[in-house]
Amino acid sequence: MLTVKNLTHWYGQADKPLYEDVDLSFDTGQVYTIVGASGSGKTTLLSFLAGLDKPQKGDIFLDGKNLKKIGATNYRKHKVAIVFQQYNLLGYMSALDNILTALSVTGSAHKGERQYVLDTLKRVGINEDDAKKNAQKLSGGQQQRVAIVRALLVDANIVIADEPTGNLDGENAAMIINLFQELAHDHQKSVIIVTHDPHVADQGDVKISLENREFVVA
Amino acid sequence: MNYLKRAMLYLTHKKGQSLLLLLIMSAILVFVLSGIIIQNAALSATNSVTKSAGTTISVSANRNKMFAKMRSSSSKSKTPTITTPTVSNEKIKKAGKLSTVAYYNITNTASVNASSFDTVSTSTGSQGMGMMKGGKGASTGNISIEGVTSTKLTSSFISKEDKIVSGRNIKASDANSKNVVIEKELASSNNLKIGDSITVKTTTSGKKKIQLKVVGIYKAKSTSSSMPGSDPSNTIYTSYTLPASVTGTTGKSSTVTYTLEDSGKEKATTKKIKSIINSSSFTVSSNDESYQQLLQPMKNVQSFANKIVWLVAIAGTIILGLIIILSVRTRQKEIGVLVSLGESKLHIVGQLFSELFVILIGAMVIALLLGNFVGNKVGNQLLAQQQTTSITTTAKSSDGPGGAPGTQHNGGGMHGGAMMSQASTSSASQRALKTLNTSISPSSIMKLGGMGLVIIALAVCVSSISILRLRPKDILLGE
Ligand SMILES: Nc1ncnc2c1ncn2[C@@H]1O[C@H](COP(=O)(O)OP(=O)(O)O)[C@@H](O)[C@H]1O
Ligand SMILES: [Mg+2]
Repeated sequence: MLTVKNLTHWYGQADKPLYEDVDLSFDTGQVYTIVGASGSGKTTLLSFLAGLDKPQKGDIFLDGKNLKKIGATNYRKHKVAIVFQQYNLLGYMSALDNILTALSVTGSAHKGERQYVLDTLKRVGINEDDAKKNAQKLSGGQQQRVAIVRALLVDANIVIADEPTGNLDGENAAMIINLFQELAHDHQKSVIIVTHDPHVADQGDVKISLENREFVVA
Repeated sequence: MNYLKRAMLYLTHKKGQSLLLLLIMSAILVFVLSGIIIQNAALSATNSVTKSAGTTISVSANRNKMFAKMRSSSSKSKTPTITTPTVSNEKIKKAGKLSTVAYYNITNTASVNASSFDTVSTSTGSQGMGMMKGGKGASTGNISIEGVTSTKLTSSFISKEDKIVSGRNIKASDANSKNVVIEKELASSNNLKIGDSITVKTTTSGKKKIQLKVVGIYKAKSTSSSMPGSDPSNTIYTSYTLPASVTGTTGKSSTVTYTLEDSGKEKATTKKIKSIINSSSFTVSSNDESYQQLLQPMKNVQSFANKIVWLVAIAGTIILGLIIILSVRTRQKEIGVLVSLGESKLHIVGQLFSELFVILIGAMVIALLLGNFVGNKVGNQLLAQQQTTSITTTAKSSDGPGGAPGTQHNGGGMHGGAMMSQASTSSASQRALKTLNTSISPSSIMKLGGMGLVIIALAVCVSSISILRLRPKDILLGE
């Protein structure tokens, strides 16, 4: 359970905050989708949830423990996995090596398990040849699927995605959303997706919209 | 999959960039290495200069004392007499056996009159030059006899002012002989050849005749002498024993010049020779002017090499630092991925350092292959330049006193000393300066590696400031 308490944030002027006193909670086993106008502050919220930045005011708790106590690097290493709109993979190595790197850096239980990684990649439609190709040679959809497999295999319980389907066509987007649902429903992770695509938003178990500087949970 | 492995993957994937970096780093290291090589070469050349500079120690009459004696004697009798002090040849030989002495040359002079032949006369010629040349008494002959241990060791022959054109040199084995080397003009005007005999008459009251045998003919470069009234063609070289017998000081000598094995031993040797000669009538003075003059170009080369090493190292650090800062900027997203995985920034900097370290090793190999060549070229070029400037300054400085010799200071003796220093400078410089040995020693390689490490460490430090200041959110989430 990831909980946001009394979060207030502003850039520049304190009297013009992006939002004030936000309270939100994200349970395991669920897909959360967040929609909102461009520039409303969705990415900013994700950066707090991912431990990449700190809000001006308020706290975030993981299973009751303050993020400040867990430590940002430690939190990113063991608790959270991030899928971005693009540039998810290190361009100078293969998809397989990208995932092995992640497993090694995070100290995952699956560290060094090449065959296991290859099998998992095969399940999302990436065969061994593609897995051993340079990551940049894969299509956008393939790269996103590699990033999701990476999120699956590291030990993190929270998966955060910022516009993961933003650069994909409908078919690929659907495939990605299915995988996220699998992460939540089969692997009991909290999946939090920011999207501007209403079709993607509708696939979430819980839909949150950011309107007029307020988060509204549907 | 640690950061070392990532570094290797990065380098092999970005082949073009790695190659470029390798070239830049090699260029920097080649310059650093050339600097180090020149530094070392100059250092070892300096050491060899110390050995071969030909620093001399001369034992000659203490002029102050001589003149003081002359003054006191003139108060008693009307005509002042001057006696050149002498020292026994045994003492001279004993000092010559010192281990720090390479060789020595005894010089004795006497003045006689030509008997069986005619002297060569200069247009401006006039008699007189009394006490400077003759040494004994007021009466002076028209032929001056320069007795030496060996003409080869004599300054005018070393400086090539005088040159043997036929026959042979006067050698140490000519001691106690009547063998002479005469000037070419004197020989031709009197139809004299090698093997001929000539006769001279002493200027003392007895007017003894001495028969001499011509064993060599030399050519004097300058036909007009700086000494008024004495044409250089009228100088006859003999063994040092002959003038002594003419002046009645057989077994003794008035001047000797010791040339040292090692210029570094100058002070100690001077002291030893002083105690062997053990006479207040003599001054024992060393002349390391030539050594200092040889040393100067070495020092210049050395300081230039120091500057090269530092300049290149600083410039290299700046260039590499800038390149790395720029590459870090283009690698922001990649660094962001690692940061989002929870990789520590230390490891990210470690990866950067490892990449550069691998390139450094490659660049070291290239630099070692090229540096020897470049260092050799640059070093010898530099040295050649330094050498010519040093020789011209030497030539200039010795031009100075030529105008009015023998009139001030200590007269002839001083003049001889100046000539001596010039002579040994040019001969020693030929020996020492041309052999700048530019080879790469293990310590040079260590030094190069150390410098290289410092350069990349500094470059990485500078660029890691930008990594450490990178806000993770800005890397990825912000467009
Ligand atoms: N680092 C920053 N410094 C200043 N302003 C920022 C920064 N990041 C975002 N903003 C501003 O905050 C607002 C919200 O940005 P963001 O969270 O990216 O919105 P969204 O993802 O909903 O489009 C925007 O107006 C943006 O210009
Ligand atoms: Mg956004």
